[in-house]
Amino acid sequence: MAAKVVTLKVPETTFAESIYLVEIAKGLARTFGHFWKNLTNMKGLPTIQYPEMLRKYSARFRGRHILKKREDDTLKCVACYMCETACPAECIHIEAGEHPVLAYEKYPTVFEIDLLRCVYCGYCVDACPKDAIWMTRDYELSFFDRKGAVLGIPELTEKPSDTAAGGPGYGYRPYEGESPMKKAGQFEPSGLPLLPALAERGMAINRMPPPPPPKPPAAAPAAKAG
Amino acid sequence: MSATVAPAKGLEFLPVLEKKFGEKVTALEGLAADVPTLVTDAASLHEAARFLRDDPAAAYDLFLDLASADLSRLPGPQAPKAGERFQANYILYSTKRNEHLRLKVNLPEKDPSVPTLTDVWPASNWFEREAWDLMGIDFKGHPNQKRLLTHGGFVGHALRKDYDAKQRWLCTEEDLLQTELAAQTDEPADMFETTTLNFGPSQPATHGTLRIVMRLDGETIVGAESECGYLHRCFEKMSEAHTYSQVFPYTDRLNYCSPMLNNNGYARAIESMLGVTPPPRALAVRTILGEFSRVMDHLVCLAANLVDIGGLTSFWYAFQPREEIYGLLEACSGARLTVSYGRVGGLANDVPENFVPWAREIIKGTRERLGDVETLVTRNKIVWNRLRDTGVVTKEQALAWGWTGPCLRASGVPFDLRKDQPYEWYGEVDFDVPIMTEGDNYARYLVRVEEMKQSLRIIEQILDKLPGGPVRSDDYRVILPPKEMVYNEMEALIYHFKLVFEGVKVPPGEIYSATEGANGELGFSVVSDGSGFPYRLKVRPPCFPLFASFEKIIKGHPVADAVATLGLLNIIAGELDR
Repeated sequence: MAAKVVTLKVPETTFAESIYLVEIAKGLARTFGHFWKNLTNMKGLPTIQYPEMLRKYSARFRGRHILKKREDDTLKCVACYMCETACPAECIHIEAGEHPVLAYEKYPTVFEIDLLRCVYCGYCVDACPKDAIWMTRDYELSFFDRKGAVLGIPELTEKPSDTAAGGPGYGYRPYEGESPMKKAGQFEPSGLPLLPALAERGMAINRMPPPPPPKPPAAAPAAKAG
Repeated sequence: MSATVAPAKGLEFLPVLEKKFGEKVTALEGLAADVPTLVTDAASLHEAARFLRDDPAAAYDLFLDLASADLSRLPGPQAPKAGERFQANYILYSTKRNEHLRLKVNLPEKDPSVPTLTDVWPASNWFEREAWDLMGIDFKGHPNQKRLLTHGGFVGHALRKDYDAKQRWLCTEEDLLQTELAAQTDEPADMFETTTLNFGPSQPATHGTLRIVMRLDGETIVGAESECGYLHRCFEKMSEAHTYSQVFPYTDRLNYCSPMLNNNGYARAIESMLGVTPPPRALAVRTILGEFSRVMDHLVCLAANLVDIGGLTSFWYAFQPREEIYGLLEACSGARLTVSYGRVGGLANDVPENFVPWAREIIKGTRERLGDVETLVTRNKIVWNRLRDTGVVTKEQALAWGWTGPCLRASGVPFDLRKDQPYEWYGEVDFDVPIMTEGDNYARYLVRVEEMKQSLRIIEQILDKLPGGPVRSDDYRVILPPKEMVYNEMEALIYHFKLVFEGVKVPPGEIYSATEGANGELGFSVVSDGSGFPYRLKVRPPCFPLFASFEKIIKGHPVADAVATLGLLNIIAGELDR
């Protein structure tokens, strides 16, 4: 039987406790203490004013998936069906085709993820032998119909908007070995320590629309030509 | 790698048992050696059960689980004898001797039936109903053998191997399981009229899809029947169609207030079967995050209960540390609630760089918020009037009903697997097991508060000596090799492909592995046929016996007390219904 067992005792009621008033005052002191602390330090409030503010997640967050590309802009995916097999929710559908570039051999003609079935477990990322699928920190997923929730290759190859601009950034990626993110130079301190004010701890991202950038007049035709 | 974990210890009562029963009850050696196993036949089961409970050298006073299995598809030496097909495994525990026991009964293919054990261990009531519902084993003499987890329109027994999992059964209004109480019309009894109150399944105070039908005389409950199964999602059947590692995301959703503890329990069961030990760092991180999850679970329980009895402020204070712990879990695993952080042979990933200071910050913050809650609640006279002497469960009742965890400890039984059968890092740290003898709601509250403090103590001690090194085993037959190796080495790539396509090959055998979940003993009974898929997986959810006895506790008490009691039993529908 357990070596160290402590029998707790029900505390005795004192006279002060039995007349309520003293205890009420003590309780109010505690709640007003919190009220005063919060009033004088509004920035330290633990509440995140979603949708204006967004919780900042770690670089391991498992959100919407992304298909990665090679340097020549082709998909890294070789349609090996590993992610489809590893998926416990059976939400991935792949159809393979022969790649025109001989060295790449195969590529997916269809790659669909049904986000309504997906449980965001990250097993597809773990299963990929080609580093072709990652996840992002994008978690605000809403659709007008069920079809919209089935993401194909065009939707999946979209880059997540970059963190500096208030976008979510990359999330869950494969386990590479010891401290993979640091190794890849991608380690982002995911820390949100408890006590410092919200703005300091980088817990939330303010999403109020940034001022529109000034448009250089000559930029548009140049881009078209390029 | 072998399935044998610990050889069956010499059971002292075996000679007496042999003398009494002869060949009818035999000790099993060999495959199932994780816990001592006795095999008996259906005819002498009842007598054997009585002996095991009453004999002072046996004293199996706690009925933990009934794991049924359909052996018809097992290959080779595991295959059942001709004419036999089913198996009922009763998992028992002796609080005096700190030992588990499996009592195994082999049953024929046609009309499998055993005598009920509800008169020996009342706890077996709902477990037998579940086995009838899902496996179709008939329990002769059972007081109320009805479907429990599935609905009245359901045909067949879902966990039998010949049941096609793709079948769908429509539940119409007529098929809803009507309890006897609900079917009664309102008739005057004595001089007062009694009424039927339908409580749940979507009642805010149940905190989950539970249904209780109460018969009220004024404010007093004169009769009650509880019902579950509204959140049944075939966890056990689904596990049979997934590889061992694919089951992790499913375990997250068992007790969704403390998902990491489920991950740990499941991983431990499979690792014990494989004979794989994860690196010490992985075990340490599992223990830390498991204890944080326990704190979270207790906080949710207390906070929700305090809201039910009218104290909203404490709810905010209690949920603040929970929020921070979710942040830490997310940084480790990638999700706040559905962590899926455990793997067979280690963890999915190493913890972030700032893990230790961050965890220390959380401990500090949790202590502060816990102090707030205690100031407002522990010596509050209104809380005392609501919680003290309500929902009283004596030590004998709690044991008979198969309770475990904080609720059993609040009734005065110091049974805690972390202390009694230490696993992970619990043997290395110093902590107390708080118990109380009152057995009322206030005792359950105090025990939970004290347990949280002890959990924080455990975490602090492990943080002090958190070992370095890898968090994943280097046995690539059980865990995916690091990607660097997969990209560059042929062998690693082969292991990788084989693991993803075929799963972890667990050697044939069976196991009952238990860990201390937030609500009590979380047990996994696994039968393996040597393939990468679990042949049969049975969870022992700690809430199940708690909720089964709820209707007995509240009889004779006002409805308001029933709400307070339900909150402090901490019934989690996800794990209750699976």
